[in-house]
Amino acid sequence: MTELTFPAVLRRGLPRARYIALAVRLAAAAAIAIYALTTPGFLTLLSANALFTAISFVGCVAVGMTFITLTGNIMSLAIGATVSASALIFLACLSLGILPAILVALLFGVVITGAQGFLVGHLRANPILVSVAALSLLLGGAAFVTGGHHIYPSGAGLEIFKDRFAGIPIDAWCFFTTVAVGQFILSWTRIGRLMTMVGSNVRAATAAGVSTTATVTAAYVIAGACASISGILLAARYGSGDMEIGVGYDYTAIAAVLVGGTGIAGGSGSTLRTLVGVIVISVIEVVLLLRGFSEQLQYLITGLLVLCVIMLHTLGERR
Amino acid sequence: MPVLAIDGVTKRFGPNAVLKDVSLALDAHEVRAVCGENGAGKSTLVKVITGLYAPDEGAVCVDGTPVVITSPQHAQELGIALVAQELSLAPALSVLDNIWLGNRKVPLLHRRQELRARARAALDKLGLNDLALDTPASALSIGRRQLVEIARMLTRDARVFILDEPTATLSDVEIERIFAALRALKAEGKSVIYITHRLGEVFEICDSVSVLRNGDLVGTRRTNEIDRGTLMQMMLGRSLGEMYPAWESSPGDPMLMVKDLHVPPLVRGFDLTAERGTVTCLAGQVGSGAITVLRALAGLTPGASGEASISGKPMRLRTVARAQAADVKFISEDRAGEGIFLRLTVGQNLIATKLKDHTAFGLLARRGLRATAASLAAAVGVDRKRLHSPADELSGGNQQKLAFGRWIGGDRPGVLLMNEPTRGVDVGARAEIYRLIRQFCDRGYCVVMASSDIEEVLGMADVVVSMYRGRQVARYRRGETDMQRILADITHPAAA
Ligand SMILES: Nc1ncnc2c1ncn2[C@@H]1O[C@H](COP(=O)(O)OP(=O)(O)OP(=O)(O)O)[C@@H](O)[C@H]1O
Ligand SMILES: [Mg+2]
Repeated sequence: MTELTFPAVLRRGLPRARYIALAVRLAAAAAIAIYALTTPGFLTLLSANALFTAISFVGCVAVGMTFITLTGNIMSLAIGATVSASALIFLACLSLGILPAILVALLFGVVITGAQGFLVGHLRANPILVSVAALSLLLGGAAFVTGGHHIYPSGAGLEIFKDRFAGIPIDAWCFFTTVAVGQFILSWTRIGRLMTMVGSNVRAATAAGVSTTATVTAAYVIAGACASISGILLAARYGSGDMEIGVGYDYTAIAAVLVGGTGIAGGSGSTLRTLVGVIVISVIEVVLLLRGFSEQLQYLITGLLVLCVIMLHTLGERR
Repeated sequence: MPVLAIDGVTKRFGPNAVLKDVSLALDAHEVRAVCGENGAGKSTLVKVITGLYAPDEGAVCVDGTPVVITSPQHAQELGIALVAQELSLAPALSVLDNIWLGNRKVPLLHRRQELRARARAALDKLGLNDLALDTPASALSIGRRQLVEIARMLTRDARVFILDEPTATLSDVEIERIFAALRALKAEGKSVIYITHRLGEVFEICDSVSVLRNGDLVGTRRTNEIDRGTLMQMMLGRSLGEMYPAWESSPGDPMLMVKDLHVPPLVRGFDLTAERGTVTCLAGQVGSGAITVLRALAGLTPGASGEASISGKPMRLRTVARAQAADVKFISEDRAGEGIFLRLTVGQNLIATKLKDHTAFGLLARRGLRATAASLAAAVGVDRKRLHSPADELSGGNQQKLAFGRWIGGDRPGVLLMNEPTRGVDVGARAEIYRLIRQFCDRGYCVVMASSDIEEVLGMADVVVSMYRGRQVARYRRGETDMQRILADITHPAAA
C-alpha cells in the first residue's frame, strides 16, 4: 500500500539493469552494423580486408593496454610513442636481418614499458605520472637520435608482411594471435590470475603474499611487447617510420578496452572483450571516414561513444 | 505509537528472498537487538530502513505513516542515523571532516569552532580523548575507525540510531563506553536498533530482541523474559552444544619466538614465545598493540624491527614473502580492505593462496583449483552454489569464513596469526571456527590470535598475554586467570 514516487520505481527496476544494459548493447551493435553496411564503400573495404589491417595495429596496442588496465593502473600514455619508437628501431636494425630486427624492437618495447611497470608496482608510483615521464623520455630520445627525420628501411624482406595466409593479411593474423595469447595468459596461467588479484585489491593481494612488483611489471612487459608488435607491423606495412606513426594509439586503445567492458578500476577484463571493443571503435571510425565526417567530428563522436559505454557499464553493475 | 515500524517487508535478490514478510515496531526509549546467523538478513533489513534498498513488498513507517525512503540522505532527514557494518570513513579526510561528512544539518556557512567542539565532545564520550581532530582517517587502527564512526552517529540529530555490529573489533572497555552513550540516548527518549553476534551484549544493553532466521522473523521477545539458550535456539533453530571445544591444554615446545619487537610508534620492545599445538591469545583494548604485533609478524609493517624465529630458524620481518616462506599465515582484521577480494568470486577468494600448488610451468590446473575451492567451501561451511558469486554478495560473517578458508590445507604445519578471527561471525559458525582453530593446533600449528573479545580469549587460549600500550602486562596459562583480572590488566595495569 505504498505510494510510489518516481525514484523508487526506478530503483525497483535496478536488479534488471543488467538486462537493460545487455539489451542496449545488442541494440547498439545492431545499429552500428546496419549503419556500417549501408555506408557506400564499406562492403568493398570488408572484402578487401582493409578493415582487418586497419584494426590490427591499434588492436595489438589495445590488447597490451588491457593488461595495464586490468592490474588497476588505468593506462600508459607512453604507449603510442613506444609504438613509433619500436617502428623506428625495427627499421634501423633491418640491415641485421629481419629476425634480429624484430627481436631488438621487441626488447626495446619490453624494457621501456617494463621499467614503468617496475616503478608503478614497486614504488606504488602514480601510473599516469610515470607514463608521462616515459613519454617525454621517448620523445626527447627519439628527436635526439633521428634528428626528427624519417627512417627508411635499409634492408629487404618486408614483403613477407604483406602476404596473406588463408586470405587474411599477416597483420590480422598477428593481431588475432595476440588476442588469443593474451586471453590464454589471463585465464590459464598463474601470473594472469595474480594480475586479476592485484588489480582487484592491491592490499589484499599483498596480504595474500602476491608480489605486486613482479605482477605489475609482468603486465607492463606484455603491454610493451604488444606495442612493439604494433610498431613492427606498421613499419613493415608502410616501409617508413617517424615518431608520428603511433600518435593517438594509446587513446584509441584505452577507448577500445573500455568499450569492450574491461573495468577501469581493475580486477576484471579480458582480451576477447577488447577485441570486440577494437572492432566497434574501428568500424565506427571507418564508417565516419567513408561518410565524409571531418576528423574533429570523428574524435567527438568516438569520445561520446566511450562516455555512453562507461555509463552503461556502471548501470549494469549497480544494484 | 511506534517511532519506526517495518510492515511486512520482503526483499528479493533475483529469485532469493532475503527478507520474508518481516514486521517490527520500535518505541521511543527502546533499545532493540536484532540477532540472527550470518546471512539471516540483518544488514539487508538495515539497508531497507536507510533507503539503500527498496523493499519489494511492504513498507517502512515513521511515526505511523508509511514512507518511501529513497536514499540514505532521505533517511537522515527522517531522523535515522546509521553505523554500517563495513567501515565507511574516507581515508584521506581528517577525523573532523569524516564526522561531519554527509551531515545534512550542517549549513553551508557554519562555524568551524562549533563543529570542532561537538566532534570533540562525541569523541571524548567514547574515550578517544587523545585523538586529534585533524588526524587523517587512514592513520587510524580499525578499532579507532569504528569508534569514529560511532562518534559520527552520535553527532547526528536523529531519533532512531542503528548500529550494525559496532563492537566487532572493540574490547569491553570501549564497548562499555558505547553502552554508556547508548543509555544516555535512551534516557533522552531515542530509539536504538543494535545488531550483534555477541549475545552477552544483547542481555546487557537491549530491552528486547528480534530474531531473524533465513529472512524470516522468528519472533521478538523482551530480554528479561528469555535466557541465552532460548535466544540461541531461536537463532539457530536447534540448540548449540558447547561453544568452545573441550581439550586438554598441554604445553608444547616453543615454535614462534619474538624478541625485542619494535613497531613505531606503538610497540617498543615486545617479547613473545608461542608453543606448537597451542593457542596464544593477545588480549588488549584498542591501541594496545596486539593487532600491530601480529601485522608486523605477518610482514605487513615496513617499519618493524626485532628478532623473530620459527622453530629456531630466524625469520626476516617486513616482507610478506619472507613470512610466508617461513609458513606464517595471516588473517587480517580489515576484512573488506585487506582480508578478501570483494570484487572477485567466492571461489577465487578461497584459492587466492593456493595457486602455487596447482601450477605446472606457470599454467594453472583449473580442475584441481575448482576441486580445492569446493572442498574449502565445504570446510568452512559456505554454500557451494555460491562459488561463482562475487564475494561482496555474501553476508559479513560468510566473508570472514572466506578469509579463514584460504589458509586451510597445506602440508607443513606453520604459524597461524589471526586478528579478530571471529569478527562478525555468528554463534553457530563461531563454534565451527573455534573447532577449526583447534584442528590447526592438533595438526601441529602454533596459533596466535589477537582478540578484543575477552570471553573468546578465555574460551580458546592455552596462554593469554594481556597487553597495554604496546607492552605485555602479564602472561597466564589456561585456568590461571579470569575476566576481571584480564580486564584490569588491559585497562589499569598495576605496573604502568
Ligand atoms: N546485493 C546482493 N545480491 C545478492 N545477494 C545478496 C546481496 N546482499 C546480500 N545478499 C544475500 O542476502 C543474505 C542476507 O545478507 P545480510 O548481509 O543481510 O546478512 P546478515 O544477517 O547481515 O549477516 P552477517 O551477520 O554475516 O552480517 C545473504 O545470503 C547474502 O548473501
Ligand atoms: Mg550483516
